[in-house]
Amino acid sequence: MELRVTESTEDELSIEIAGEDHTFMNVLKGALLEHDDIGAATYDVNPEQSGGQTEPILTIKTDGGVDPLEALEEAAVDVREKATTFRDAFEAAA
Amino acid sequence: MTEEYDVEFVERTDREARFLVRGVTPAFANGIRRAMLADVPTMAIDTVRFVENSSVMFDEQLALRLGLVPLTTPPVGEFVEDDTVTLSIDVEGPATAYSGDLVSSDDLVQPADDNVPIIDLKDDQRLEAEADTVLERGKGHAKHQGAVAAGYRHLQRVEVVDDVPEFEDEQSQIVRGVIEDDGELIPTSEFDHDLSNRYPGKEIELEDVPNAFVFHVETDGSFPVEEIVTRAADTIEARATELEEAVQL
Repeated sequence: MELRVTESTEDELSIEIAGEDHTFMNVLKGALLEHDDIGAATYDVNPEQSGGQTEPILTIKTDGGVDPLEALEEAAVDVREKATTFRDAFEAAA
Repeated sequence: MTEEYDVEFVERTDREARFLVRGVTPAFANGIRRAMLADVPTMAIDTVRFVENSSVMFDEQLALRLGLVPLTTPPVGEFVEDDTVTLSIDVEGPATAYSGDLVSSDDLVQPADDNVPIIDLKDDQRLEAEADTVLERGKGHAKHQGAVAAGYRHLQRVEVVDDVPEFEDEQSQIVRGVIEDDGELIPTSEFDHDLSNRYPGKEIELEDVPNAFVFHVETDGSFPVEEIVTRAADTIEARATELEEAVQL
């Protein structure tokens, strides 16, 4: 997973996350939007055949209270915890 | 943020299961579904060396067919990417070569089904080949897709609102999936997917239960259903951990 920041201000961040697709990006976006200080979070991917930018670009806009990069890190932790709690719950039922 | 997830099995066999998950967001449910399809690695034949092929089909065609045979996938940690297992096949006509004729060099990697026909051989035709398997993800080729069917639907809650008016004909009301009636989970196949069979003469209202999804997962035999679900969750966890570490740098 290679990260490349394409745009960065105090309350806005655009970052390319190489090698990922909708599977992970949409979960990550969903986790970001659950965060209180996030004003907007979205990602854009283009199909392989389009020729241009094909890696997903995640854009985060915060309400100013938090650094977007920190919010991204928290979201990653959230996704990790979601995955482990899901697996634990599933294994408990199985 | 720690969510409470609740998982409950509705139907379950070795290769197919239906289970309810409560408390997940639609994004996460879809992440699990997509990960099961494309991100859980399975074993499949990738390279074939033909010793003799006097059948009516080209080597390439048979190689594709061999590749599509589901193989059992060894437990996590037994194999890493680039490890190979060799299977061999030697069938002489008149006979049909089946996946069960494949002889594996490793007990952990076997054809999941013995009855997949590969080719019908006539008199004096013979197929002899060696095949190497690789561990890859479904994203790269459909032969590495462990889940042949993976999907989810909202759990639906049934509410009896009224009786059907006396002089009105009863209408069938078709619903597919799993319904919840007083906390009881009922697959719609139990009443032929028609609510008017289960609640005759009643007027019914249906609503989606928020954040409750009934998954239906069927595997190709590479591994049991439980395995593919947990491995899918693991791939998402692995990517989240990777992102977390990449961001910290």
